[in-house]
Amino acid sequence: MITIEHLSVSFGAVQALRDVSMEVATGKITAVLGSNGAGKTTLLRTISGLEEPTTGSIDLDGKSLLRERPENIARLGVGHVPEGRGVIGEFTVEENLRLGAMISTTPLRAGLDEQYERFPVLGERRKQHAAKLSGGERQMLAMARALIARPTVLLLDEPSLGLAPLITAQLMRAIHDLCSTGSLTVILVEQNASSALRIADHAVVLHLGSVVANDTADLVAADEKLRQYYLGMVE
Amino acid sequence: MAASATTRRAAVGASTGVLAVVLSFAFASSTRVAVALSLFLVILIKGMVLLTSAQLRATHPVIARAALTVVVIDVVLFATYFFPANTNSNLAIGAAMSIVLLGLSFLTGASGQISLGNGAFMGVGAFAMAIWANHHATSPIAVGLLVAVVSGAAMGLLLGLPATRLRGPYLAGMTLAFAVAFSAILSSFNSWTGGDSGLQLPTAATPPQWLLNFFGPGTSLLTTNSMWTADIAIFVAGIAFFFMANLFASRTGRAMRLIRDNDVAAELVGVSLPRTRVVAFVVSSAYAALGGSLTTLIDNAVSPSTYSFALSITILSLVVIGGIGTIPGALIGGIIFAYSNSVITWITNQTGLNPQGNLASQLNGIIFGVLLIATMLFAPMGIAGTVRHLRHRRRRRVPG
Repeated sequence: MITIEHLSVSFGAVQALRDVSMEVATGKITAVLGSNGAGKTTLLRTISGLEEPTTGSIDLDGKSLLRERPENIARLGVGHVPEGRGVIGEFTVEENLRLGAMISTTPLRAGLDEQYERFPVLGERRKQHAAKLSGGERQMLAMARALIARPTVLLLDEPSLGLAPLITAQLMRAIHDLCSTGSLTVILVEQNASSALRIADHAVVLHLGSVVANDTADLVAADEKLRQYYLGMVE
Repeated sequence: MAASATTRRAAVGASTGVLAVVLSFAFASSTRVAVALSLFLVILIKGMVLLTSAQLRATHPVIARAALTVVVIDVVLFATYFFPANTNSNLAIGAAMSIVLLGLSFLTGASGQISLGNGAFMGVGAFAMAIWANHHATSPIAVGLLVAVVSGAAMGLLLGLPATRLRGPYLAGMTLAFAVAFSAILSSFNSWTGGDSGLQLPTAATPPQWLLNFFGPGTSLLTTNSMWTADIAIFVAGIAFFFMANLFASRTGRAMRLIRDNDVAAELVGVSLPRTRVVAFVVSSAYAALGGSLTTLIDNAVSPSTYSFALSITILSLVVIGGIGTIPGALIGGIIFAYSNSVITWITNQTGLNPQGNLASQLNGIIFGVLLIATMLFAPMGIAGTVRHLRHRRRRRVPG
């Protein structure tokens, strides 16, 4: 379980997160929603150690993640697929996956096969340069690269960004399937609120760095005011 | 199918090898020369047999790279026997410089860091070699080279640790400061470095007695110093290129390229940015020092004026001209450097310029400047990078 308490993050005079508190249940999908500038990406970056909070705490199963370097947090089992995916175009699919496997304790071949089974299209294109993949395939590669290290927590930052609706639906199904065993916890940051709420168990809505809603995904999806004012879901 | 191709290749290799040995003994002037010739041909054939195996290249790339290294070293060493002294001298200088360029190319091309101080790191190796040789006159050359590499790596570590906190122009600024201060540092340790006049090696690099004895008196094989130093430089460069090619392709090399392209993504997959950057810096410095120590061996002396800030700029220019982050680019840069003096001599001869004049003394800088501008304009990826790009483009056009 991830426990975040009174978390605040500032960039100079700009306060990106204000006194954010939330709990992320193990084996569940928690969607973090909100408009541009709400602080969603900052929240994920702070969990990963890329940003330093001014106040507050982040615990993973009782262990504090504060003041840990990002590579150590990754080794503690937090996988992060950043916005823009961060795959290396000049590397092949397999070389990108090998990068993700650097901190894995399982044999490389087994890890690769597991990801090829999970995302068959990556197996078919294992020798292809990542630059030649479509947006959806790149997103799958970025997720597979994070998953090959066998994380217990997966942070996904805008996975549907720039993808066609059909591909987004496939991707969301894949994310939902990841949690089917109950061992992987997912924090899903999305602007596409309706897609995220469809697969999420829980939802947190941020606005200008503050939590304005923190409830089950069904209740958030049913709240007309939240839908209209914070999630841009106009019927 | 694959097994029969392997058997066929092995059979062709074995029969060609036997033929090579028979011919060597039939035509060589003495038994010992025949042994040397046989050895050269057998290594060449064995290496070529390994290299032609696509399966080996795919499944055992390290062995394939080792085979390529052995073949190239074998051929070039053999060729030095036939080359005139000045060609061997140029080859030696080119091999030494290509090691330095390879180090910087790795630092910049793989990890994305910029160093303006590799001339000074080269100087560290050059002086370490000279100081060691002056205090341990009977020590083998290999030990001197090793001392130089360790000195360069240690200096790289010293500068690399604070460098992990710096990026882009700030890191370049720090290495620039080291390059500028290097001459002053050398002067401060007069008793060790010989001050402005530098140091001479106690004895010129000569082939070991056992090798001379092997060929016997009367043969000219390996008896000239220029050929011997060229052979050492080529052999060492071959090993250095082999290690670097493996480092480029290794997990560490891939992690470095990930840092260069996306340092956030690198951290998120568990790559330690400070540690990886320091490793790149240390490797680059060690390579520069190795190149510097070979230069001392070739020149039989070392002078502080050689390792001025201008050399660091020349090194950076050559890396850009050859192609940043490419292994052949370092080789191309080394050859350009080695032949730059010959080109200047040719220009002065053709134009009637006074070789001691002001313009002639500046020709070196002018040539590198023009080459650098031309590269930036017409081949921004450098010579090797552009050739690779054109080859990829042509391959894409070929149907199927």
